[in-house]
Amino acid sequence: MNSEQEIKELLELRKKIFIAGYKGGMAHLASCYSSLEMIYAMYLKGILKYDRKNPKWKDRDRFILSKGHAGLALYGVMEEAGLISDEIYKSYLTENSLIGGEPCMRDSQWVEATTGSLGHGLSMGLGIAMALKMNNSPAKVYVMLGDGELEEGTVWEAIMTAPAFGVDNLIAILDCNNIQKMDFVEKTIGVPNWSAKWKSFGWDVLETDGHDMEDFKSTILSENNSGMPRLIIANTIKGKGVSIMENNPNWHFRLPGRKELKIFKEELGISDEELV
Amino acid sequence: MNSAYIGKLMELAEKDPDIIHLLADSGTGYDEMFKRNFPNQMYNFGIGEENMVAAAAGMASVGKKPFVFTAGAFLAYRSMEFIRDDVCFQNLNVKIVGMGSGLSWSSLGPTHHTTEDISVLRAIPNLMILSPATPRQVVACVQTAYEHDGPVYIKIGMNHEKEYFEDNYVHDIKKSDCLREGKNIAVFVTGSILEEAVKTCEMLEQDGISAKLINVTTIKPFNEKEVIDIVKEIDKVAVIEEHNIHGGLASIISETITYNGLEARVIPIGLNDTFAEGYGTYAMVRKANQLDAINIYRRMKEAYEE
Repeated sequence: MNSEQEIKELLELRKKIFIAGYKGGMAHLASCYSSLEMIYAMYLKGILKYDRKNPKWKDRDRFILSKGHAGLALYGVMEEAGLISDEIYKSYLTENSLIGGEPCMRDSQWVEATTGSLGHGLSMGLGIAMALKMNNSPAKVYVMLGDGELEEGTVWEAIMTAPAFGVDNLIAILDCNNIQKMDFVEKTIGVPNWSAKWKSFGWDVLETDGHDMEDFKSTILSENNSGMPRLIIANTIKGKGVSIMENNPNWHFRLPGRKELKIFKEELGISDEELV
Repeated sequence: MNSAYIGKLMELAEKDPDIIHLLADSGTGYDEMFKRNFPNQMYNFGIGEENMVAAAAGMASVGKKPFVFTAGAFLAYRSMEFIRDDVCFQNLNVKIVGMGSGLSWSSLGPTHHTTEDISVLRAIPNLMILSPATPRQVVACVQTAYEHDGPVYIKIGMNHEKEYFEDNYVHDIKKSDCLREGKNIAVFVTGSILEEAVKTCEMLEQDGISAKLINVTTIKPFNEKEVIDIVKEIDKVAVIEEHNIHGGLASIISETITYNGLEARVIPIGLNDTFAEGYGTYAMVRKANQLDAINIYRRMKEAYEE
């Protein structure tokens, strides 16, 4: 369960993400909201080991947001963690924008991999995990993927090869919100059965509630003695936090119209002045 | 070319444990030799080039120096987005080595030909492109790639390329190699087809046409100055390449001439926006596509006399 304080902080973050996206005129809000608790827990609840003063510390854990369209959530959490400034965050899609809709190494030294085109992150994470093993580093590599993203063939090249290379320092997190851009995943590619599929490729598979930070943290940090890479299937709700957006495929890539905006403002606690 | 490549890579791997040799089920006996000598510096990703290229980018982000090695066609086309987004956009120290360049996989047809790779890859920022013509040039280009901290694509042919360079040949990225002086026509060539270009120039000489032969190894960053200096002296230019003339060396040289306000007739000798015809030996397929010395000579002479 998330504490009252955490619930408050996450509501503030959802508000911040919405304001940036709304003012910027573009955001994948629903994807940001489905992954938000997990990204927050990675950076602010002690899952990722990193050195605030040295972004390139060699033994830092790496986090790759392979579903890069939730970039505004990642940057929002980074701002909350003090890794990027408020000024940078608020520059989103303004005239002198310092960040865009997808995480980019060029824009922040805290971004471990540039993503946006789906199906790249797990392979890059695999290479990082292999290199860290070569260096005898204790660091771990976390890669967050979307369930729609698993339709990209390259992901399966990485799923297939990672166990062969014995990278038990590689942890994939599946933000399993069951929805892709146009429809539900199941209506697009049939019953996904992710757990059985990944297990059959040799992965150590665990499941968690992706919105419950305590559950997520204890699952992801539980000991892995399998010698194999691990998949965390995180069950989530796309659009979590705004009733009309929750579990609704219409919201992958759009902002609210006038009537809908009222609901966003009410539920996220946003004033008219904050949207100017 | 493959043995020259692996030999040089072993020399570097011995000195530098960060050199990592990556394959996509694309190894030969030479790679077995590498594996015996450096078992912890070679990984076979299986038949999955995109995963391998992206993983190489990941390794480079940790400070490794991966050399990715498989068929040029599978790298330049199949893995293009991974080269673009993961290697070049992130400007990571990954070397992409495409073997079987041009028509050298002559028996297997266009799926295995690498005849558009320069066009495809030279449009990607941050990528150095090298096109060695002989085994000694391969060795020298691998050294250049190693010394360059950033993405490099090297296209190399197969085997039996004739050697035209000294044993201690050093590749200078700012300099092409003039293999023959001449005053009537300047002939630029790149890659394994150099041998046909040398023969072509000899035939032209017999007809009293004096050809200057320039072997271009650095495709990108391209040294415009050399072309500018030559075109100021010689206003007929031929470009020989085992590549589509659209986007290849002929395009690069034509662009250089027009961008610099110069005038010259450019005679492109390559594949004219077509997939290669025919199957068989390398010589047979070159001939089927009018890229053997006799046909190049005929095409060039005809254009020269127009």
